[in-house]
Amino acid sequence: MAFAPLDPVLHNQLRLAIVSLLVSVDSADFNFLLEKTGATRGNLSVQITKLKDAGYLTVKKTFKDNYPNTRCSLSAKGLKSFEAYVQAIKEYLGSAES
Amino acid sequence: MEQELTPSESLKLIETMIGQAKSSFSRMSFYFLMWGVLLLAAMVTTYMMRDAGDAWAHGAAWGVAGALGGIISSIYGFRQGKKEQVANPMDRVVGWIWGAFVITMLLMMFAFAGTGRDPGAAITLLTAMPTFLTGQVMRFRPLIFGGLLFWLSGMVMFYSGNDTVIVSAYCIAMVFGYIVPGILLKRQEDGLRTA
Repeated sequence: MAFAPLDPVLHNQLRLAIVSLLVSVDSADFNFLLEKTGATRGNLSVQITKLKDAGYLTVKKTFKDNYPNTRCSLSAKGLKSFEAYVQAIKEYLGSAES
Repeated sequence: MEQELTPSESLKLIETMIGQAKSSFSRMSFYFLMWGVLLLAAMVTTYMMRDAGDAWAHGAAWGVAGALGGIISSIYGFRQGKKEQVANPMDRVVGWIWGAFVITMLLMMFAFAGTGRDPGAAITLLTAMPTFLTGQVMRFRPLIFGGLLFWLSGMVMFYSGNDTVIVSAYCIAMVFGYIVPGILLKRQEDGLRTA
């Protein structure tokens, strides 16, 4: 049985964590993602940019209490890719168990 | 958080992150505590002034409590909205539920005022619904219990002709349906913030 290749954009711990957090909320700001993932600011910023460049995230930069605020939400493409990724790892796990 | 993942690690990470995001509700305890105290005070004031024969005996305390609560809720909601790090769809659902409740309650008050009947029992019954639904959405049992209590108190108020019974039923519902769940919810929210 041939397995679907795992999406390289999502098959990374931090990027997968970001997308998993965003899949069940409308949007979240940078500090929320920082707090929940435990990543460094620099790394988080790099991975958000990669997800944005892949078309998986929509990023809005605004100001909150006079400070820059980055707000992220999952795009339709991001959601579809996440669902395909979950399906693929389920198939991998299913074959490992059988 | 840089290394490659095995499929089982991926699945575990997804489950953990989704669980964390889902538990990120807005702080709602403030609303239950504030409205609980205000409405309890309004009911007690109305009861104590029942023989006064002026506006206080005819709902002025409810008007003051409603206006004060509305202003405080708006200011608090506006400030909280600016602070919130995450927009959770469950918050939106809870907001719609309470918005629909307020609209229905105002229309009922208007309709009851037109017929000269006391809307207390009907509004208490109506209060059960958003309280119960909020408890279910948040999976927070004290609010689910609070909703059930408002239904029970509403029925007692509806069928009782005794002022003391009516006031007691309302006050019990307000204490155990709003204030106690509000305190327990606040504890939970403070725990989540420091965790």
